[in-house]
Amino acid sequence: MNRLTCGLLLSSLVLAGCASQPNSDTVLQQAGSDFQKVKEDSNVLRIAPKDVIRAGESLARADRLSSYWGSGGDVVHYAYLSQRYSAIAREHTELVLNEERAAKLELERQRLQLALREAKLLSVQQQGKWLEEQIASLTTTQTDRGLVMTLGDVLFDTGQAELKNSANRTVLKIVQFLQLNPKRVVRIEGYTDSTGGEQENLKLSRDRAQAVADVLVDLGIDEKRIQVEGYGDQYPVEANASERGRAQNRRVEIVFSDDKGQLGAAR
Amino acid sequence: MTIRPLFAALAVVTLAGCAADPAPNEQMRLTQQALEQAAAVGAVADDVPELKLAETKLAQAKADMADESYKDARMQAEQAELDARLAEARVLTQKSQEQLNVLNTRITRLRKQLGDAQ
Repeated sequence: MNRLTCGLLLSSLVLAGCASQPNSDTVLQQAGSDFQKVKEDSNVLRIAPKDVIRAGESLARADRLSSYWGSGGDVVHYAYLSQRYSAIAREHTELVLNEERAAKLELERQRLQLALREAKLLSVQQQGKWLEEQIASLTTTQTDRGLVMTLGDVLFDTGQAELKNSANRTVLKIVQFLQLNPKRVVRIEGYTDSTGGEQENLKLSRDRAQAVADVLVDLGIDEKRIQVEGYGDQYPVEANASERGRAQNRRVEIVFSDDKGQLGAAR
Repeated sequence: MTIRPLFAALAVVTLAGCAADPAPNEQMRLTQQALEQAAAVGAVADDVPELKLAETKLAQAKADMADESYKDARMQAEQAELDARLAEARVLTQKSQEQLNVLNTRITRLRKQLGDAQ
């Protein structure tokens, strides 16, 4: 008797409270189908088993309550919780799957980065080889002195030590070559013809060699890698008798070390 | 005369049976925590509808607590907790998706550069 009254009272209360609740059967069905989907997804089961279990428990509770008359509000509530757990399980799964994908992609990225670095290195080496050929074409090998490049008379005005702009191309090649071969060092040697006094010639030859060295330093070559010498009218390459011979003798020579930095002895 | 105590007993039993819900203090705390956690990972109510729901329901639960409607308070709080947890999970998934996109972009760029280099 008491029970019945209480039950009736409860039911009417619940009914009153639940008048605005959505249809509990529909919600229950929806929750059931959501749960079914996560339950059948092996990834979800692997990654978020706890959420799946909670979704199942809430669903079972909603299901049980639905057989009691007048408990519509509770059914909707637990069905809602079950749906939320299913959704959370899916999100957690997606998150972990994304992390797994990211880990794979990260490996791929590192692999590609390495490959790119190697490709670039190779191209630099090829470039270095090309430059080396270029430099070689501008130099002559003298067995006792190593690689020697001659900057001719035309790169300086008569009696002047300033390097003309026409030397830029050659100078840039030398800079690039030295940058690609960081162990190599150079000795820059200045020479004049026999016109003029010995002291003047020594000074002019040294100033011209220094002018070339300055440009190299300005373009980023460490001055420690550069020696400068002035030899005046010593060591002519041609007889000073003709104008042509004198022009050949007015020159700056750049002596390259080997690739270990060993430079032939100065004259 | 005998009928009055019966009514009294009935009333007591009814009250006891119907007001069985204690104050859901622990649930309120859990819900509060879940909302804070969602905010901590960067969820904003304007962007994540689930968080908006959670906030509304938590406010309702607090009002229910004040009214001593403990059952309503508990239900609202329980739903709010899961709304907040879902909001948090969505934000984290979104972030991981963005990270994937960044990685994919970088890989595409690397592949292109590799193609150019060869």
